[in-house]
Amino acid sequence: MHGEYKMPGGKLVVADLEVRGGRLCHVRVSGDFFLEPDSALDWIDAALNGQPAQSGEAELAAHLKAALGGRAAMYGISEEAIARAVRRALGHAR
Amino acid sequence: MSRSRWEDHGWRLIHAPAQAPALHMALDETLTDAVGSGRRAPTLRIWEWAASAVIIGRYQSLRNEVDGAAARREAITVMRRISGGGAMFVEPGNTITYSLYAPVSLVEGMSFQEAYAFLDAWVIEALRTLGIEARYQPLNDITSPAGKIAGAAQARRHGAVLHHVTMAYDIDAAKMLQVLRIGREKLSDKGIASAVKRVDPLRSQTGLARAAVIERMVATFRRLHGLTDDHLTENELAQARELAENKFKTPEWTAIVP
Repeated sequence: MHGEYKMPGGKLVVADLEVRGGRLCHVRVSGDFFLEPDSALDWIDAALNGQPAQSGEAELAAHLKAALGGRAAMYGISEEAIARAVRRALGHAR
Repeated sequence: MSRSRWEDHGWRLIHAPAQAPALHMALDETLTDAVGSGRRAPTLRIWEWAASAVIIGRYQSLRNEVDGAAARREAITVMRRISGGGAMFVEPGNTITYSLYAPVSLVEGMSFQEAYAFLDAWVIEALRTLGIEARYQPLNDITSPAGKIAGAAQARRHGAVLHHVTMAYDIDAAKMLQVLRIGREKLSDKGIASAVKRVDPLRSQTGLARAAVIERMVATFRRLHGLTDDHLTENELAQARELAENKFKTPEWTAIVP
């Protein structure tokens, strides 16, 4: 499943993922954004894996924020934008 | 840590003959780390390309961005760089690419946006002396009334900031669109109308040869911040060659985001 979201005033966030047993798996977030340090991309994917596929956007964003714990600096992307791309991959129109 | 100023650093210039795309990727990592550790003075490096290449950003999906079959057919190397941002298409002589390697103290306390504007300022001044009404456009572009001119990307590692920029001198847009999967909404962003075959803001807006534009950029940097001609050391070159072979040419790195 594949979802894209262009953050207003920011960059494109892409989410590729699968769902098994009602939970997200094989999540891969990508895009033309900026992120420091570069290992933060793995933290983001890892945090999303296992999340309930029914999670709302705000829930996913809050979960990401808690998992990153301020360790990642983002430019052109946000936890909310990532959550929106994931929700779009899951087939939610917004 | 307090913020340093341009003039606190003895800036060096490296402008070597054409090098392979993988070596350019590796030199950015090697020289960023060398400046971060204090082994090298802050440096401006002008790139010369030995081969055509598509360079994707650190966080881009390889298969979402690049048509691999088209790239092989056109003999275009596909590389991934260490900074984020979008894909770019280069052929020898069609872009002006450069890197700044600076201690992170130069942008201490700045937001990302402030740091891009700050590190782009000298080149915007250089373009203005050539008659282009260039300006920084957030997040990471340099633009003109006639459209986008350049894109920058930064990466911070081990006490240094890498700020590298690719400016469009004379790009074959039709060829670029064969290898890059750029969505239609991105095209307007890149200042490319669908019927346009070439993207040549620097060539058409200055009427100057590529080398003359580079000469003005270097002269402007020298005037504003000081610049001493320099070259890569044997150690730096050896280290970069090793990285090119064992990291940047490997599928593990190029497809690290498949």
